[in-house]
Amino acid sequence: MTGQIEQEVKRETGTGTDLWRVIVSPIVWAVHFLFCYVYGAVYCAKAGRDASLAGPTVIIIGATVVALVLIGLSTLHLWKVRGRSLTDDDFEYEHNTPEERHRFLSHVALMLCVLSAVAVLYVAIPMLYLTSCR
Amino acid sequence: MVLPAVGASLLLAGCTFEQSALHPAGRDAQELSGLTWFMFAGAVVVWAIVMGVTVYAVLGRKRRRTERFADLFILGGGVAFPTVGLAILLVYGLSLLPNWTSAQAPGLRVHVQAEQYWWRFAYELPDGSRVETANELHLPNDVTAEFVLTSTDVIHSFWIPALGGKMDLIPGRTNLLRLTPTKAGTYRGVCAEFCGPSHTFMAFPVVVHDADGYASWLAAEQAPATSGSELFAASGCAACHTIRGVAETGKVGPDLTHFGRRSTIGAATLVNTRENLLAWLADPQRIKPGAAMPGFASLPETDRAAIADYLMGLK
Ligand code: HEC
Ligand SMILES: [Cu+2]
Repeated sequence: MTGQIEQEVKRETGTGTDLWRVIVSPIVWAVHFLFCYVYGAVYCAKAGRDASLAGPTVIIIGATVVALVLIGLSTLHLWKVRGRSLTDDDFEYEHNTPEERHRFLSHVALMLCVLSAVAVLYVAIPMLYLTSCR
Repeated sequence: MVLPAVGASLLLAGCTFEQSALHPAGRDAQELSGLTWFMFAGAVVVWAIVMGVTVYAVLGRKRRRTERFADLFILGGGVAFPTVGLAILLVYGLSLLPNWTSAQAPGLRVHVQAEQYWWRFAYELPDGSRVETANELHLPNDVTAEFVLTSTDVIHSFWIPALGGKMDLIPGRTNLLRLTPTKAGTYRGVCAEFCGPSHTFMAFPVVVHDADGYASWLAAEQAPATSGSELFAASGCAACHTIRGVAETGKVGPDLTHFGRRSTIGAATLVNTRENLLAWLADPQRIKPGAAMPGFASLPETDRAAIADYLMGLK
């Protein structure tokens, strides 16, 4: 009970999210994307057409897990700030108050987390199907 | 009258499907057409659902929905459905990726060099030597052929829709593509990457033979030309064209050793008839803008006719 009140108070005072929180998950996505492609390109440029991709597959799966954990942490944090409903009937964004700004930003950021997580998975899936550098 | 091969093939396409990815005659094309039909069926289903929901939203009973329903509807239809749907397509597509390695030797290797606006084909023989030809591809049925793809000028793309997917030819790079025809017949390959004003006139017939038919084609192609021509050399043609056994220094234009056996002129631009050949010799630019062959309208008409007869006779 006290936890809930605390949260409610935190909302009223308008802390919770900032711009950094909004872009952190897309940044994780971008870094993961660049890592996968640059690492794959460098590996294959050095190893040649016929090289097996077993090693890089493990590393890229590892990078994907790390990226998903980071996005997951961000999601968890935002979930606490954002509120209850996706369509947000319980709240009207009509006043230019800190609370509304923060909740709106967290809402956007949460969506970006979902998008980034899906994108990270899509970047990683091809790796499961590639067997050689060809 | 100049009868363009393009026009002729359009007319024929109605019944022969020589350039159709949906009438596969090769292993890859078979798999790809499966993917195409799968996507088409999926698109029909998605379309029907979206239209159904739209019609229901407009005409259906107006009943107040809970917020929870709205959340689930958006999550399910807007997030889960596209994510899973696209993942299925991605995995289907990825499962079709070729996964051969160099250790699995192909049954045949053809070196393909694209130039504005024609194709150099060189068949690699078991001893490593090559048989040069151009603008018409012959393949044995049920044999995996490896195409070694390069370009000398700009990026082109090598595509035989009836046999499989396409692959770019990039200056300074060598790309490898393997195709396995599964049905004898005549198909059409094209350049599938815009490469200049005559890009559309950069195609080639593809003839898939049974094993015997291919062997006799290759043996004949390998043989040097049986007759020479004074005029061919005197008119300057030999500076650019090779006719093996007659004039072997010209490397700028297509090899003409067995030109009389080809079914087209200028990379499937014209049907190979005497009339069309005369028109080509007089003014290739008019037929194929930007082609790197000069016109020979300045030659006496009798000379052009004699050269045309000579070339048509190179069987
Ligand atoms: C400056 C070099 C050059 C000269 C000289 C030249 N050609 Fe060509 N020729 C080409 C090129 C390049 C092509 C390919 C054009 C294209 O299809 O884009 C070609 C194409 C052809 C073709 C069509 C080949 C095919 O595979 O369909 C024939 C036939 C031909 N030339 C005959 C001649 C004759 C006969 C002469 C002499 C009267 C001649 N050429 C002189 C460069 C030359
Ligand atoms: Cu081209």
